[in-house]
Amino acid sequence: MFSTIWSQYKATLTVFLVLLVIVVLEVLQVRAAIYPSLLPAFEWLKNSTPLGYIGTTYGSIYATVQAMHLLAMGTLGGLVLTTDLRLLGVMFRNTPSEVISNGTHKAFKVALIAAVLTGIFCVAGVADKVYYMPVFWVKMLALAVGAAFVFLVKQPLLNSKPHSEINPWIIRGMAITSILVWFTVAASGRWIGFS
Amino acid sequence: MINELLLQFGQWMEAQQYSQMLVAGYYSYSWLEATHVLTLMVSIGSLFIIDFRMLGWILPNVSASTIADRLHKPMMIGFAIMFITGFLLVYAKPVETIQSLWFRIKMVLLVLAFINAWIFNAKMKAADGNWDNDSVAPRNLRVGAILSLVLWCGVVTMGRYIPYDWVDCDKTQNSTILWAAGCVDQLKAL
Amino acid sequence: MSDNKKIGDKELAAISVSVIVFGGLMFHWVAELISTLDLLELAYGTVKLFNNPLVF
Repeated sequence: MFSTIWSQYKATLTVFLVLLVIVVLEVLQVRAAIYPSLLPAFEWLKNSTPLGYIGTTYGSIYATVQAMHLLAMGTLGGLVLTTDLRLLGVMFRNTPSEVISNGTHKAFKVALIAAVLTGIFCVAGVADKVYYMPVFWVKMLALAVGAAFVFLVKQPLLNSKPHSEINPWIIRGMAITSILVWFTVAASGRWIGFS
Repeated sequence: MINELLLQFGQWMEAQQYSQMLVAGYYSYSWLEATHVLTLMVSIGSLFIIDFRMLGWILPNVSASTIADRLHKPMMIGFAIMFITGFLLVYAKPVETIQSLWFRIKMVLLVLAFINAWIFNAKMKAADGNWDNDSVAPRNLRVGAILSLVLWCGVVTMGRYIPYDWVDCDKTQNSTILWAAGCVDQLKAL
Repeated sequence: MSDNKKIGDKELAAISVSVIVFGGLMFHWVAELISTLDLLELAYGTVKLFNNPLVF
């Protein structure tokens, strides 16, 4: 009985299992327990790695990498908007949405990798500061959720069958969520600079 | 001469009530800056996709003119927002910005980028439509796309440099930099 | 709804995640908005987007 349900609803059950684990970890205050132990890692990143050394010593290199980070995020945002506005039926209505979403996915991965790599450098230079910023952790959480959403949920569903066979409201829901997640990543990122 | 005029213009703006309100507001300046930066995802995001398509890096099975057509509107909306917020950012800190070397380089690059976009558009219209469905655009359009990418990377980088004070008027003695940044008083004092 | 649009496992997972993530993010942004409005009220005695130092 259980095994039939499991084999039929593997993805859905996994989602709720993950959710359950998160709730349990929160109730047990695991996050609060782990948080202090992360500080040494951030201090090490700033004080003992070449990244942290370059970031704190050469302001011009740091600013240039920040600009690259912005460019990567700009490209990423453009790709997300193009893909998701097509899924919402706002743009490219005459082009099949499979073509757009498949065609932008590879570039999306490249832009994401570029943003993460330049982002690590940006963090290294100010690691002891961002550690204490709630908005930094909001960004990291949004980034992790966004990446998991795209690679484990959205892309598998969009690739599994023609989009016309998927309930349009599910496609729209995924598109809106995707836009909101990546907007949150970018907006929180900008706010790190202000805090 | 032109540096003096620009400085006077900046001082005139800085004396205005609304300019001071923008800087003094609790969040007004930050929100303006955040909007300016986040709109990169609409403006540069759309533009780069068009350029990438011309170079054959992305969406090779969608015709180049479709990509350019459909992304034109969001790109223009994005650039309009960037222009308005950008102007307000200058208006909020006029003297500081007008005397920034990076801001001046950024403006030059912006002008070059717009000229390049103009030429690119003309070339695209002049080119016969046979290439439209090719995965890579003709050579002259590819050159335009690369130039566009390089110029806009430069614009964004210069924009990122503006808040840094490396070559502010009171930080350098180099007369060429002082002249290029329009540091009128410091240049006289040399 | 036609038979081939039946909501399968992947669809169910996708819509669940979408709703949860969307809800969580909206909750975050609304909370941010409320705390920002509170802060502005605390700073100015009223919600003002722009502070006018000449009248202050």
